[in-house]
Amino acid sequence: MAAAQFPAVTVEPFGDSAVMVTVPHPDPVVRRTAIVDFRERFLAHRPPGMVDVVSGLESLLVEYDPLATAPQHVEYAIRLLAGRMPAEQRSARARTALRFAIPVVFDEETGPDLRSVAEEVGLAPAEVVDAIAESTFTISLLGAAMAPMMDGLQVPRPVRRRAEPRTDVAPGAIMIAGTNAIIQPFPGPTGWRVVGRTPHTIVDISRPDPVSFGTGDIVRFVPVTRDEAAALDAGFLTPEEVRV
Amino acid sequence: MRTVGLDITGTGWVTTFQDLGRRDTERRGVPTGGAADQHSAAVANVLVGNPRDATLIENLGGELAFVPDADVLVAVTGAPARVTVGGAPMASWSPVVVPAGQEVRVRGDMGLGARNYLAVGGALAAETLLGSAAPDARMGFTQSLGQRVQLESGFRGFGHSHFTPPLFRLPVPVLRCAEGPWFVDVVESYGARSIPGVRELIAESSYVVTARSNHVGLRLDGPVLHPDTDTEIVSHGVPVGALQIPHADELIVLGRYRSLTAGYPIVGVASRASLPLLGQAGPGRELRFRWVDRETSVRQSAERESEVRALELATAEAFGALGFTGHLISP
Repeated sequence: MAAAQFPAVTVEPFGDSAVMVTVPHPDPVVRRTAIVDFRERFLAHRPPGMVDVVSGLESLLVEYDPLATAPQHVEYAIRLLAGRMPAEQRSARARTALRFAIPVVFDEETGPDLRSVAEEVGLAPAEVVDAIAESTFTISLLGAAMAPMMDGLQVPRPVRRRAEPRTDVAPGAIMIAGTNAIIQPFPGPTGWRVVGRTPHTIVDISRPDPVSFGTGDIVRFVPVTRDEAAALDAGFLTPEEVRV
Repeated sequence: MRTVGLDITGTGWVTTFQDLGRRDTERRGVPTGGAADQHSAAVANVLVGNPRDATLIENLGGELAFVPDADVLVAVTGAPARVTVGGAPMASWSPVVVPAGQEVRVRGDMGLGARNYLAVGGALAAETLLGSAAPDARMGFTQSLGQRVQLESGFRGFGHSHFTPPLFRLPVPVLRCAEGPWFVDVVESYGARSIPGVRELIAESSYVVTARSNHVGLRLDGPVLHPDTDTEIVSHGVPVGALQIPHADELIVLGRYRSLTAGYPIVGVASRASLPLLGQAGPGRELRFRWVDRETSVRQSAERESEVRALELATAEAFGALGFTGHLISP
């Protein structure tokens, strides 16, 4: 991606101690890729007074301590970092991307929305499973409770959310919406379409680091049968060997 | 330094370990969480010589009771509460020496505020998740107390019981939980511009906290307006205290356990100085909103901070005069 694709960022105050950063661009793919790049850069060169950032799909909420810095300083730092995004530095990320091959059982019980998704996008349920298995996902952010939210679903058209959210989705559920996929780490409600389930533990709060993945990591879903999943003795999700 | 045990003889509706929340975890999908009323939690810790962000106990509803097996220094803050030591009334918002074997009881006045904070001089032994003892229900990290709580404490007592007049006259910034409506300052945000008239409506209306409220947000009954357009709003982060208008006719004030939000306009964000009071607002509480500019909001926040700082200096001096140097516990 050329530096010209970062024409400018929009920085808008949000309350008395945060600003919202977005990348105005007609193409959502550019908006989303650019904000991920910006976040990496921002975290690597964190200006003083920053408290935390919250990643949205197309935005970054930057939270600061208003008694330690001022919104003008925050905005200045953000524009400085956004304006200086030479392409050669873009690969110099804080960490090397890890690769995950995640076994998933896709059947009527684990994927109650498979059939309706198939009808919606004009495929057979088995073809939807194939499409998911052939897609290469990139983790774009960690959502609620560290759930990995990924981009890269290759289907004929974006998948809608459910009109009525499900109230109790099992941990390990693979869910899709738009061109995104996410894995449910804990039981809970969701408006995403549930298409399968992995036997792996995605988030383990007894570990010092409860997840093994981070933004920028690469994920593939590997269809397995229920018996194969049981035989895996799948525990905490870990990456494949890192390929240099 | 010695290990002290607190036998928990009674818990309220929700009694947990707590602190000021997680740092630098929101970028990984874990909300900061922590005490809903950060001011009261910080002051409770300062009053017993702890760092502001030390682990303490938060109680919501009912009665919290415990018996220490050694003399301990405690402070109770938050909602107006009836606090007793061995049956005798004890002051809130003040350091109090509790002798070994005496039972402390804390019963908050739910009509005036939702939460009480109990700090004990020393380091409470509690599990942590990503560096904080704050519970996170979504991740199954509940942090309930169990029957016995342990404390590492350097407190050696200073021969001043709860029966005698207060030893200290400290400049304590007490959170005022008054009768009648509470006033919350709000800084306008983008959603207010997309809904003509909403600013005026919110300023002149009265809102009541409903029982559907929780740690994610306060849900308020009261008049709202919805945007005309159907512009798609994709998932984005929101500050704590954001005022959101969902599709239903209600107003939501998001709390410290909020997650990403999508599709709903945010009309404003409560000022940092108003957040502690919002953390005390229970069902039935009437809230009124006042629009303020960002500078006013930050100035109020700075005033609050200087009050807590003044208390820190005063307690350091008082405890120093009693032979303690600095904090009672090592950080």
